[in-house]
Amino acid sequence: MLFTTSPSIPCGSLKGGSSIHRRSDIIYSMAAFSFTRCLVRSYFCVKCVDHVQTRLQTTTRMLCVSASRSSFVDAPKAQFTDTEVQDILSKITGLDLKKVFRPIRQQLTPPKYKLMTDTELEEAVRKAEEQAKHLLKMPPVLPERKPINDVLYEDQMLEGMDTAKYVFTDINFNVPHRERFIVVREPSGTLRKATWNERDRLIQVYFPKEGRKITPPPIFKEENLRVVFEQDRHEDVLNQCIVQFEPDSAEFKNVLMLTYEDIEKHGKYDLLRSTRFFGGLTWHLVNGRRIDGLLVDMLQRDLMQDAVRLVRLFNLVHPQSESAQQAQTQQAADLDLLKIYAQYESNRAGFIELAVQTHEQTKALSSF
Amino acid sequence: MAASLQRIGIVICRTFPVILQRNIQAQRIRDWKTSAPVLRLNFRALSSSSSSSSSADDTDSTEVLSRYSDRPWEYLESEEYIERYGSKPVWSNYRRNHKGGVPPQKTRKTCIRGDKICGNPCPICRDPNIIVHYKNVNLLQQFISPQTGIVHDPIRTGVCMKQQKLLNKAIETARDCGLLFAQLPHVDYSKEDYSNTHGAVAPTPAPFSLSSGELWYPWYGSIKPDERELARVKRIYKDYLKPDV
Repeated sequence: MLFTTSPSIPCGSLKGGSSIHRRSDIIYSMAAFSFTRCLVRSYFCVKCVDHVQTRLQTTTRMLCVSASRSSFVDAPKAQFTDTEVQDILSKITGLDLKKVFRPIRQQLTPPKYKLMTDTELEEAVRKAEEQAKHLLKMPPVLPERKPINDVLYEDQMLEGMDTAKYVFTDINFNVPHRERFIVVREPSGTLRKATWNERDRLIQVYFPKEGRKITPPPIFKEENLRVVFEQDRHEDVLNQCIVQFEPDSAEFKNVLMLTYEDIEKHGKYDLLRSTRFFGGLTWHLVNGRRIDGLLVDMLQRDLMQDAVRLVRLFNLVHPQSESAQQAQTQQAADLDLLKIYAQYESNRAGFIELAVQTHEQTKALSSF
Repeated sequence: MAASLQRIGIVICRTFPVILQRNIQAQRIRDWKTSAPVLRLNFRALSSSSSSSSSADDTDSTEVLSRYSDRPWEYLESEEYIERYGSKPVWSNYRRNHKGGVPPQKTRKTCIRGDKICGNPCPICRDPNIIVHYKNVNLLQQFISPQTGIVHDPIRTGVCMKQQKLLNKAIETARDCGLLFAQLPHVDYSKEDYSNTHGAVAPTPAPFSLSSGELWYPWYGSIKPDERELARVKRIYKDYLKPDV
């Protein structure tokens, strides 16, 4: 059944709006490091409306607001999608091939044995690393989606016609799910767009995804989550979560937050290391300014480079914090960053400084 | 005399196997009922004095309830379970009775009909303490292959179809609640666009209104009609045109 667009939305304006959006995005992303660029970037982080007039209005509003805030913001705050941030996060995650390619439960085939030369073996390892990088792609961190409260038409003549709601879904195959029109006719006669929950449910009914259920499974309830966390199966919960929910939904963010909180409370960072969720965990902790536990864990496992990268990420995300400013003035690198962070921001300064000192000593001894 | 003796003999020969059959079945039911440690008789004897265990409350004179019906996972740690099964799965020493080398590709529909239990009941039905429950994870794990994660076929384990259905449901519920491991597919995020700018999910843009002089389609103004055609059409519909056209 094909569903036609309502006549109040002419196609011309939609197409015009979306092309303007794309062109300006390209222009602004190619522009130099400037005040306007950071403004528009922070504006495009929020979802933009199609109509040109409202966009101009909001841009002027942003300009007025940012002018007063410019005294507090020295440098632009890093976002999750920045290349530098992604680079740091992927390096911190690590690449333990044994953990990434551990045997999964699937239909078994007899094992294959190959005789390889050294070069072929290196080639195979390189291919495995590429495949591992693809498997370790982080789920996106997006702002929470705004609820849809849009009434298309109010028809009093249809009131009381039926006791049930009717949902009309566009089931054309080549339409992306985010552009699919799903509307609901209430028993009171109003025709409105479906809410996000209704959309997800109906899209799962008509275009089922593997592993996703129509109603969320009871694992995401508090008591079941507690049981699973006690068994140290955070990765399974997170896998279930990304299969079940959309990355910008409230439930997704809630489950992620609960998992990260539990990991941080018990210090079980190693459970997620070398999985695709470590980046999200680090980003959550850095935004909450609570990287002490993770830093101590890294230092205990002698991952000095990772610790340095973590502190650099912290400085990028909080450029107005004291450690970031000190690092800027002193142009610190490597272990000095750790010392500055320990001095100004950390709660467990003693441990961090001690670990840095022992590392330096061992390095000095080994170099002799 | 001989005829009456013959008649008596015939009657005995006819009724004896029936009596024997009934006795055997009654014995089997009695064994099955008493093998469950039901405190029914003890409770009746101690009816005056209060019994401490709360599990004695589940006595029903018509139904046989196991001691572990509230917490079925406790049976798998008890001594009688270990004595009976050891560390092997409950279906390891069960063998189906069937004709020929190849077993029928479906096990029997159910072992227990009403009050009667069949001969050679399946591994779950023969022990009334084994209860299929979604929280009884250790029992459910015995029916899942540890390498592939697939539920074993009833032909392999020998359970009846009714118990297999209950097993499947319990395993699915356990996987939903997170008590059992479930293998999930890898989610790829590279192809989706999350900007949420399309009219389907964003507030509807205001309707397009024409400014003065602007045409609905940009090519409206550029196409000029043929003069002769125009004159012909005007001549034909002369009576219906507005006076100024």
